[in-house]
Amino acid sequence: MIVKVRNLVKRYGDLIALDHLSFSIKEGEIFGLLGPNGSGKTTAINCILSLLKYDKGEIEVFGEPMTPEAYHIKRNIGIVMQNVAVFNELTVYENIDYFCGLYIKDKNLKKQLVEETIEFTGLNEYRNFRPKKLSGGLLRRLNIACGIAHKPKLIILDEPTVAVDPQSRNKILEGIRKLNSKGATIIYTSHYMEEVEQICSRIMIIDKGKAIATGTKEELKAMISLGEKITVESYDVSGEQLARLKQLPNIVSVEYSNPLIEIKSSKGKNNLENVLEFIKKENIPFGKIYSELPTLNDVFLEITGKELRD
Amino acid sequence: MFAHIFMNRLRCLLRDKETIFWTFAFPLALSLFFYLALSNIGKGETFQEIDIAVVNDSRYQEDLYFKTALEEASKGEDRLFDLTLATEEEAGKLLENGSIKGYIKAGDQIELVVKESGMYQSIIKSFLDNYSQTFKAVETVLRNDPKKYQEVMESLKDRKNYVKEVPTAGGKPDIVINYFYTLIAMACMYGSFFGMRETSDIQADISPLAARINIAPVHKLKAFLSSICASMLIHLVVMLALLGFIRYVLNIDFGPRTGYVLLTMVIGSITGVFFGAFVSALVKKSEGIKVAVLIGVSMLGSFLAGMMYIDIKYLISMNVPFLSWINPVNLLTDAFYSLYYLDDLSRYALNIGVLSGFATLFCVLTYLILRRRKYAGL
Ligand SMILES: Nc1ncnc2c1ncn2[C@@H]1O[C@H](COP(=O)(O)OP(=O)(O)OP(=O)(O)O)[C@@H](O)[C@H]1O
Ligand SMILES: [Mg+2]
Repeated sequence: MIVKVRNLVKRYGDLIALDHLSFSIKEGEIFGLLGPNGSGKTTAINCILSLLKYDKGEIEVFGEPMTPEAYHIKRNIGIVMQNVAVFNELTVYENIDYFCGLYIKDKNLKKQLVEETIEFTGLNEYRNFRPKKLSGGLLRRLNIACGIAHKPKLIILDEPTVAVDPQSRNKILEGIRKLNSKGATIIYTSHYMEEVEQICSRIMIIDKGKAIATGTKEELKAMISLGEKITVESYDVSGEQLARLKQLPNIVSVEYSNPLIEIKSSKGKNNLENVLEFIKKENIPFGKIYSELPTLNDVFLEITGKELRD
Repeated sequence: MFAHIFMNRLRCLLRDKETIFWTFAFPLALSLFFYLALSNIGKGETFQEIDIAVVNDSRYQEDLYFKTALEEASKGEDRLFDLTLATEEEAGKLLENGSIKGYIKAGDQIELVVKESGMYQSIIKSFLDNYSQTFKAVETVLRNDPKKYQEVMESLKDRKNYVKEVPTAGGKPDIVINYFYTLIAMACMYGSFFGMRETSDIQADISPLAARINIAPVHKLKAFLSSICASMLIHLVVMLALLGFIRYVLNIDFGPRTGYVLLTMVIGSITGVFFGAFVSALVKKSEGIKVAVLIGVSMLGSFLAGMMYIDIKYLISMNVPFLSWINPVNLLTDAFYSLYYLDDLSRYALNIGVLSGFATLFCVLTYLILRRRKYAGL
């Protein structure tokens, strides 16, 4: 186990930020921590890093209890904070060099690592820029570079793509996958389910400091009753027809807001086929028809009764 | 690791324009301003004789020793006072309309009546105190030894004694100097801006940057020490430059004890830096608020030490002496001042002692706060 958290409780006064949180992360995983704003993701990360005092629980990293003085553990952790944390007075190169130097004593090795990181994050053109002159996306990349230059075995990224344009975001996600393929274990927090779904091999969904579900995305989706969502575009359908549509096997709910009929079905075969047949038989005029598998948002919705993003 | 952090820190601080402005450019500009504004005051070190009156009653006429002493002090080229004999009523009027700084009533207990406190008033007072203590106490001895009598008389009327109660170290009385001393003292305290940055960048509950350093495999206090050494170095260089500018460009004299002057500056700078470090660790508010606190405290301290208006210093030390002992700017000013004027180093030592006490206190308190490695909240 790379990280093992057991019964972690963290209170801020009356607020319970983490409520008996337990999870483990295996080597080579990209572990996603998915939850809405304020659900406790950053708090959990800061506890793992021994930055925050917590009220209860045990945390092990690389099989050893984590403490502020566990330098041999810290040496192998790379962290990309939610808030950009770089020196405004240092250039891109100097910033990366500084943080890398806190981990790597050997000058030549350090230099090589810094160059590799600059290349990896695509910051070469900007190496002599001060952070103030970087765009939001580039700044995020610098923030990442400072956290990973020393080639850590465990990389923790706390919402590294917040306020980043789609192009930079894809680059960042791609980079994370590459780091993982080179052997790094990754903890990735986000409140964007698409991202998490895209790159994480295992996901824990948290809400109000509680783990509400953990597993691969397939496992998570299998946990809920919703099988698929079928959407039919139609300008002319009667209430009576909708009612009969709902009678079909496996159909859980039918909602119509002109021109879209949204049909939710539970798991089962031939759901789409049945719906199509019904529409043909009833001569309902239709445009597009498509079927979607449930998203993590649906998982969240079904378990907590609210949307992941509000 | 020390070199890595230290060098990068130097680089950061030297590029931090705001801090460099407050610690260097601002005091430098202010010193130039003082120079231009004050160059007429106290020119040529002419000592202004102090206008006083004495109530010319029987008690005065009968107290021969006091009468002689006062007359001696109001005689000749280098006299201390311009003395007027008057009735109490007249003296009161003179004081009221500002023609005299104060008037004296002889008697068993010699009385001094003044309207306000200031340097002149405190000189008159020290003269009287001196008379009462030295002269009266050895009255009997003097009666039998006319030679001693003359000696005591001479020292009693020596004006230099009264700028600061004890004999001088070769310096000439000059009010202007005090303004520059306060200014240097203030600049020492502005080292607090460096200290502030140091704690902000090591306390994870203050800045995300600090959080990042806390996560690195580096001993927190070692990182802090490496870093604050860089701050200290820059601050000392800045102070040396300021001191050099004031001494050699503006030609303000610090007296012959260069070593002690430098020592004072070093201790002042350490106090300043750790004061800032402590305030920043204690006040967990935005940087703007911290800067406001630091500037506010340094400015208030400088004001109370007489930077804007010299009489404030005397007013405070006479009426609220406690305040002058807890004001680092005043301690520094006074240390420079005693170095310049006094042969005896005891007053200087006292100032520096108290100041070092403060430096140690700030240092220890900062350590106690920084020592924690886990935070209750970020
Ligand atoms: N220093 C603090 N003092 C008091 N409450 C805090 C503090 N830090 C966080 N909290 C609270 O703890 C809860 C969890 O916060 P946390 O920052 O861990 O959430 P998050 O999941 O990272 O959210 P986001 O997606 O916005 O980053 C929130 O309700 C937050 O208000
Ligand atoms: Mg967060």
